Amino acid sequence: MSFDVRLRINDKVASIELKGELDASTAGRFHDVIDEAAQLGAIELVIRAENLTYLASAGLRSLVVARQKMGDEVRIAVVGAAEPVARTIRLAGFDHSIDLVDA
Amino acid sequence: MAFDSVSASEGGVRAVSGPAGRVRSEACVRYEPEWPPLTVATATAITVPAELAELDRVAEFVLRLGGQAGLADSALYRLRLAADELATNIVMHGYRDIPGGRVSVAGGIEADRVWVRFVDDAPAFDPRQGMRAPDRDMPLEQREIGGLGVYLAFTSVDTFDYELVAGRNVSTLTMRRSSAAGVQDSAPAQEQRRRTP
Repeated sequence: MSFDVRLRINDKVASIELKGELDASTAGRFHDVIDEAAQLGAIELVIRAENLTYLASAGLRSLVVARQKMGDEVRIAVVGAAEPVARTIRLAGFDHSIDLVDA
Repeated sequence: MAFDSVSASEGGVRAVSGPAGRVRSEACVRYEPEWPPLTVATATAITVPAELAELDRVAEFVLRLGGQAGLADSALYRLRLAADELATNIVMHGYRDIPGGRVSVAGGIEADRVWVRFVDDAPAFDPRQGMRAPDRDMPLEQREIGGLGVYLAFTSVDTFDYELVAGRNVSTLTMRRSSAAGVQDSAPAQEQRRRTP
Protein backbone atom coordinates (compact mmCIF):
# COMPACT_ATOMS: atom_id res chain seq x y z
CA MET A 1 0.00 0.00 0.00
CA SER A 2 1.46 3.35 -0.97
CA PHE A 3 1.22 6.73 0.65
CA ASP A 4 2.64 10.09 -0.29
CA VAL A 5 2.31 13.52 1.30
CA ARG A 6 3.46 16.85 -0.09
CA LEU A 7 3.45 20.30 1.50
CA ARG A 8 3.26 23.63 -0.26
CA ILE A 9 3.10 27.02 1.44
CA ASN A 10 1.82 30.10 -0.36
CA ASP A 11 1.03 33.33 1.49
CA LYS A 12 0.78 31.51 4.81
CA VAL A 13 -1.71 29.06 3.34
CA ALA A 14 -0.40 25.55 3.74
CA SER A 15 -1.59 22.99 1.23
CA ILE A 16 -0.98 19.35 2.04
CA GLU A 17 -1.66 16.88 -0.72
CA LEU A 18 -2.35 13.32 0.38
CA LYS A 19 -2.10 10.37 -1.95
CA GLY A 20 -2.73 6.70 -1.22
CA GLU A 21 -3.57 5.10 2.09
CA LEU A 22 -3.32 6.85 5.44
CA ASP A 23 -3.21 4.35 8.30
CA ALA A 24 -1.23 3.66 11.45
CA SER A 25 1.86 2.71 9.47
CA THR A 26 1.89 5.93 7.40
CA ALA A 27 0.33 8.54 9.69
CA GLY A 28 3.72 9.51 11.11
CA ARG A 29 4.68 11.12 7.79
CA PHE A 30 1.46 13.15 7.71
CA HIS A 31 2.12 14.13 11.29
CA ASP A 32 5.59 15.41 10.44
CA VAL A 33 4.26 17.55 7.60
CA ILE A 34 1.61 19.05 9.86
CA ASP A 35 4.37 19.94 12.31
CA GLU A 36 6.27 21.63 9.51
CA ALA A 37 3.23 23.63 8.40
CA ALA A 38 2.58 24.78 11.97
CA GLN A 39 6.19 25.84 12.42
CA LEU A 40 6.05 27.86 9.22
CA GLY A 41 3.21 29.89 10.71
CA ALA A 42 0.44 28.84 8.37
CA ILE A 43 -2.84 30.64 8.97
CA GLU A 44 -4.89 28.23 6.87
CA LEU A 45 -4.43 24.53 6.25
CA VAL A 46 -5.90 22.99 3.12
CA ILE A 47 -5.67 19.22 2.93
CA ARG A 48 -6.10 18.00 -0.62
CA ALA A 49 -7.70 14.57 -0.34
CA GLU A 50 -8.77 13.88 -3.91
CA ASN A 51 -6.24 11.08 -4.18
CA LEU A 52 -6.57 9.78 -0.64
CA THR A 53 -7.97 6.29 -1.09
CA TYR A 54 -8.11 5.18 2.54
CA LEU A 55 -8.30 6.86 5.94
CA ALA A 56 -8.00 5.08 9.29
CA SER A 57 -8.31 6.51 12.79
CA ALA A 58 -4.57 7.14 12.89
CA GLY A 59 -5.09 9.74 10.19
CA LEU A 60 -7.91 11.31 12.15
CA ARG A 61 -5.56 11.66 15.11
CA SER A 62 -3.28 13.67 12.88
CA LEU A 63 -6.15 16.06 12.22
CA VAL A 64 -6.63 16.47 15.95
CA VAL A 65 -2.94 17.21 16.29
CA ALA A 66 -3.23 19.74 13.48
CA ARG A 67 -6.02 21.52 15.32
CA GLN A 68 -4.06 21.45 18.58
CA LYS A 69 -0.87 22.79 17.03
CA MET A 70 -2.43 25.43 14.83
CA GLY A 71 -5.05 26.76 17.19
CA ASP A 72 -8.71 27.64 16.85
CA GLU A 73 -8.18 30.58 14.57
CA VAL A 74 -6.62 28.53 11.78
CA ARG A 75 -9.10 27.22 9.25
CA ILE A 76 -8.56 23.58 8.39
CA ALA A 77 -10.27 22.23 5.29
CA VAL A 78 -10.30 18.78 3.74
CA VAL A 79 -10.98 19.13 0.03
CA GLY A 80 -12.27 16.54 -2.41
CA ALA A 81 -12.46 13.55 -0.10
CA ALA A 82 -14.05 10.47 -1.63
CA GLU A 83 -17.28 9.28 -0.02
CA PRO A 84 -15.78 6.56 2.25
CA VAL A 85 -13.10 8.94 3.50
CA ALA A 86 -15.63 11.72 4.12
CA ARG A 87 -17.90 9.21 5.88
CA THR A 88 -15.10 8.33 8.31
CA ILE A 89 -14.48 12.01 9.06
CA ARG A 90 -18.18 12.59 9.67
CA LEU A 91 -18.56 9.42 11.73
CA ALA A 92 -15.84 10.68 14.04
CA GLY A 93 -17.64 14.00 14.31
CA PHE A 94 -14.66 15.91 12.99
CA ASP A 95 -16.76 17.76 10.44
CA HIS A 96 -17.81 20.13 13.24
CA SER A 97 -14.30 21.52 13.47
CA ILE A 98 -12.94 20.86 10.01
CA ASP A 99 -14.52 22.04 6.78
CA LEU A 100 -15.31 19.24 4.37
CA VAL A 101 -15.24 20.82 0.92
CA ASP A 102 -16.42 19.09 -2.25
CA ALA A 103 -16.92 15.86 -0.36
CA MET B 1 -2.89 -17.19 -2.60
CA ALA B 2 -5.92 -19.21 -3.51
CA PHE B 3 -8.89 -18.94 -1.26
CA ASP B 4 -9.97 -22.53 -1.52
CA SER B 5 -7.09 -23.73 0.58
CA VAL B 6 -4.73 -22.76 3.32
CA SER B 7 -1.10 -23.23 2.68
CA ALA B 8 0.83 -24.96 5.43
CA SER B 9 3.58 -22.44 4.82
CA GLU B 10 1.23 -19.73 5.98
CA GLY B 11 1.15 -21.73 9.20
CA GLY B 12 -0.17 -21.04 12.62
CA VAL B 13 -3.83 -21.36 11.71
CA ARG B 14 -5.50 -21.79 15.03
CA ALA B 15 -9.04 -20.84 14.31
CA VAL B 16 -10.90 -21.89 11.23
CA SER B 17 -14.61 -22.48 11.46
CA GLY B 18 -17.86 -20.88 10.48
CA PRO B 19 -18.96 -17.76 12.35
CA ALA B 20 -21.26 -19.80 14.48
CA GLY B 21 -18.41 -22.09 15.43
CA ARG B 22 -15.85 -21.59 18.09
CA VAL B 23 -12.15 -21.86 18.13
CA ARG B 24 -11.50 -25.46 18.90
CA SER B 25 -8.71 -25.46 21.41
CA GLU B 26 -5.47 -23.91 22.38
CA ALA B 27 -3.63 -26.51 20.36
CA CYS B 28 -2.67 -25.45 16.89
CA VAL B 29 -5.21 -26.83 14.43
CA ARG B 30 -4.24 -27.09 10.79
CA TYR B 31 -6.72 -26.75 7.98
CA GLU B 32 -6.80 -30.25 6.60
CA PRO B 33 -8.86 -31.95 3.92
CA GLU B 34 -11.00 -33.82 6.45
CA TRP B 35 -11.97 -30.57 8.18
CA PRO B 36 -15.74 -30.12 7.92
CA PRO B 37 -16.30 -27.88 4.92
CA LEU B 38 -18.08 -24.59 5.20
CA THR B 39 -21.54 -24.55 3.72
CA VAL B 40 -20.55 -22.33 0.87
CA ALA B 41 -17.36 -21.09 -0.63
CA THR B 42 -14.12 -20.77 1.16
CA ALA B 43 -12.05 -20.26 4.26
CA THR B 44 -8.47 -19.15 4.53
CA ALA B 45 -6.02 -17.69 7.03
CA ILE B 46 -2.69 -15.99 7.51
CA THR B 47 -0.51 -15.39 10.52
CA VAL B 48 1.56 -12.22 10.73
CA PRO B 49 3.95 -10.66 13.25
CA ALA B 50 2.23 -8.09 15.47
CA GLU B 51 3.88 -5.11 13.77
CA LEU B 52 2.46 -2.03 12.06
CA ALA B 53 4.40 -2.89 8.94
CA GLU B 54 2.26 -6.01 8.62
CA LEU B 55 -1.03 -4.10 8.42
CA ASP B 56 -0.73 -4.11 4.66
CA ARG B 57 -0.84 -7.90 4.58
CA VAL B 58 -3.95 -7.90 6.72
CA ALA B 59 -5.57 -5.34 4.43
CA GLU B 60 -4.66 -7.31 1.32
CA PHE B 61 -6.09 -10.45 2.89
CA VAL B 62 -9.38 -8.79 3.77
CA LEU B 63 -9.72 -6.95 0.47
CA ARG B 64 -9.16 -10.14 -1.47
CA LEU B 65 -11.62 -12.05 0.67
CA GLY B 66 -14.30 -9.37 0.42
CA GLY B 67 -13.66 -9.03 -3.29
CA GLN B 68 -14.22 -12.74 -3.79
CA ALA B 69 -17.43 -12.44 -1.80
CA GLY B 70 -18.65 -9.77 -4.18
CA LEU B 71 -19.05 -7.03 -1.58
CA ALA B 72 -19.86 -3.63 -2.98
CA ASP B 73 -17.08 -1.06 -2.77
CA SER B 74 -18.61 0.68 0.24
CA ALA B 75 -19.06 -2.55 2.20
CA LEU B 76 -15.60 -3.73 1.24
CA TYR B 77 -14.10 -0.44 2.42
CA ARG B 78 -15.91 -0.71 5.75
CA LEU B 79 -14.85 -4.33 6.30
CA ARG B 80 -11.26 -3.40 5.57
CA LEU B 81 -11.50 -0.39 7.90
CA ALA B 82 -12.88 -2.52 10.73
CA ALA B 83 -10.22 -5.19 10.25
CA ASP B 84 -7.47 -2.59 10.02
CA GLU B 85 -8.57 -0.84 13.20
CA LEU B 86 -8.83 -4.12 15.06
CA ALA B 87 -5.41 -5.26 13.88
CA THR B 88 -3.92 -1.88 14.80
CA ASN B 89 -5.47 -2.16 18.24
CA ILE B 90 -3.93 -5.59 18.78
CA VAL B 91 -0.50 -4.38 17.67
CA MET B 92 -0.50 -1.03 19.46
CA HIS B 93 -2.29 -1.95 22.66
CA GLY B 94 -2.66 -5.71 22.99
CA TYR B 95 1.00 -6.47 22.42
CA ARG B 96 2.35 -3.22 23.80
CA ASP B 97 5.70 -3.97 25.48
CA ILE B 98 5.37 -7.64 24.49
CA PRO B 99 7.85 -8.40 21.70
CA GLY B 100 7.44 -11.25 19.27
CA GLY B 101 3.65 -11.38 19.27
CA ARG B 102 1.74 -12.81 16.36
CA VAL B 103 -1.77 -12.35 15.03
CA SER B 104 -3.75 -14.99 13.17
CA VAL B 105 -6.33 -13.72 10.72
CA ALA B 106 -8.85 -16.17 9.33
CA GLY B 107 -11.64 -15.42 6.95
CA GLY B 108 -14.48 -17.15 5.23
CA ILE B 109 -17.30 -16.63 2.81
CA GLU B 110 -20.70 -18.12 3.42
CA ALA B 111 -23.97 -17.82 1.62
CA ASP B 112 -25.10 -14.75 3.50
CA ARG B 113 -21.98 -13.26 5.02
CA VAL B 114 -18.26 -12.74 5.02
CA TRP B 115 -16.37 -13.12 8.30
CA VAL B 116 -12.90 -12.20 9.46
CA ARG B 117 -11.56 -13.56 12.73
CA PHE B 118 -8.53 -12.34 14.66
CA VAL B 119 -6.80 -14.53 17.24
CA ASP B 120 -3.99 -13.22 19.40
CA ASP B 121 -2.14 -14.18 22.57
CA ALA B 122 -1.96 -10.70 24.08
CA PRO B 123 -3.40 -10.21 27.58
CA ALA B 124 -7.13 -10.85 27.65
CA PHE B 125 -9.07 -7.79 26.57
CA ASP B 126 -12.39 -7.23 24.85
CA PRO B 127 -11.59 -4.43 22.39
CA ARG B 128 -15.20 -3.28 22.50
CA GLN B 129 -14.64 -2.19 26.10
CA GLY B 130 -12.15 0.37 24.88
CA MET B 131 -14.61 1.85 22.44
CA ARG B 132 -15.57 5.45 22.89
CA ALA B 133 -18.08 7.26 20.75
CA PRO B 134 -16.88 10.72 19.74
CA ASP B 135 -18.13 13.65 21.77
CA ARG B 136 -19.32 15.85 18.95
CA ASP B 137 -19.93 18.80 21.23
CA MET B 138 -16.35 18.85 22.45
CA PRO B 139 -13.95 21.10 20.52
CA LEU B 140 -11.67 18.96 18.41
CA GLU B 141 -8.51 20.08 20.17
CA GLN B 142 -9.95 18.90 23.49
CA ARG B 143 -11.14 15.54 22.27
CA GLU B 144 -10.15 12.30 23.92
CA ILE B 145 -9.30 10.28 20.85
CA GLY B 146 -8.57 6.95 22.49
CA GLY B 147 -11.07 4.32 21.46
CA LEU B 148 -11.91 6.04 18.20
CA GLY B 149 -10.50 3.24 16.07
CA VAL B 150 -12.59 0.59 17.77
CA TYR B 151 -15.62 2.85 17.43
CA LEU B 152 -15.02 3.08 13.69
CA ALA B 153 -14.66 -0.69 13.51
CA PHE B 154 -17.78 -1.26 15.57
CA THR B 155 -19.90 0.99 13.43
CA SER B 156 -18.56 -0.26 10.11
CA VAL B 157 -19.51 -3.93 10.17
CA ASP B 158 -22.71 -5.83 10.83
CA THR B 159 -21.42 -7.69 13.88
CA PHE B 160 -18.33 -7.42 16.05
CA ASP B 161 -18.02 -10.31 18.50
CA TYR B 162 -15.38 -11.15 21.07
CA GLU B 163 -14.61 -14.29 23.04
CA LEU B 164 -11.78 -15.35 25.29
CA VAL B 165 -11.03 -18.91 24.23
CA ALA B 166 -8.36 -20.98 25.97
CA GLY B 167 -6.64 -17.77 27.01
CA ARG B 168 -6.67 -16.29 23.53
CA ASN B 169 -8.46 -13.18 22.34
CA VAL B 170 -10.81 -14.08 19.51
CA SER B 171 -12.57 -11.22 17.73
CA THR B 172 -14.85 -11.85 14.78
CA LEU B 173 -16.17 -9.31 12.31
CA THR B 174 -18.96 -10.15 9.93
CA MET B 175 -20.45 -8.33 7.00
CA ARG B 176 -23.65 -9.46 5.37
CA ARG B 177 -23.22 -10.20 1.72
CA SER B 178 -26.53 -8.42 1.21
CA SER B 179 -24.47 -5.36 2.02
CA ALA B 180 -23.28 -5.73 -1.53
CA ALA B 181 -26.68 -4.42 -2.50
CA GLY B 182 -25.98 -1.31 -0.47
CA VAL B 183 -27.15 -0.86 3.10
CA GLN B 184 -27.45 2.43 4.90
CA ASP B 185 -24.20 3.33 6.60
CA SER B 186 -25.92 3.65 9.93
CA ALA B 187 -27.58 0.24 9.78
CA PRO B 188 -24.68 -1.82 11.12
CA ALA B 189 -24.17 0.43 14.10
CA GLN B 190 -27.83 0.49 14.96
CA GLU B 191 -28.08 -3.26 14.79
CA GLN B 192 -24.95 -3.78 16.84
CA ARG B 193 -26.07 -1.39 19.54
CA ARG B 194 -29.16 -3.52 19.96
CA ARG B 195 -27.16 -6.72 20.11
CA THR B 196 -24.42 -5.68 22.50
CA PRO B 197 -25.10 -4.98 26.16
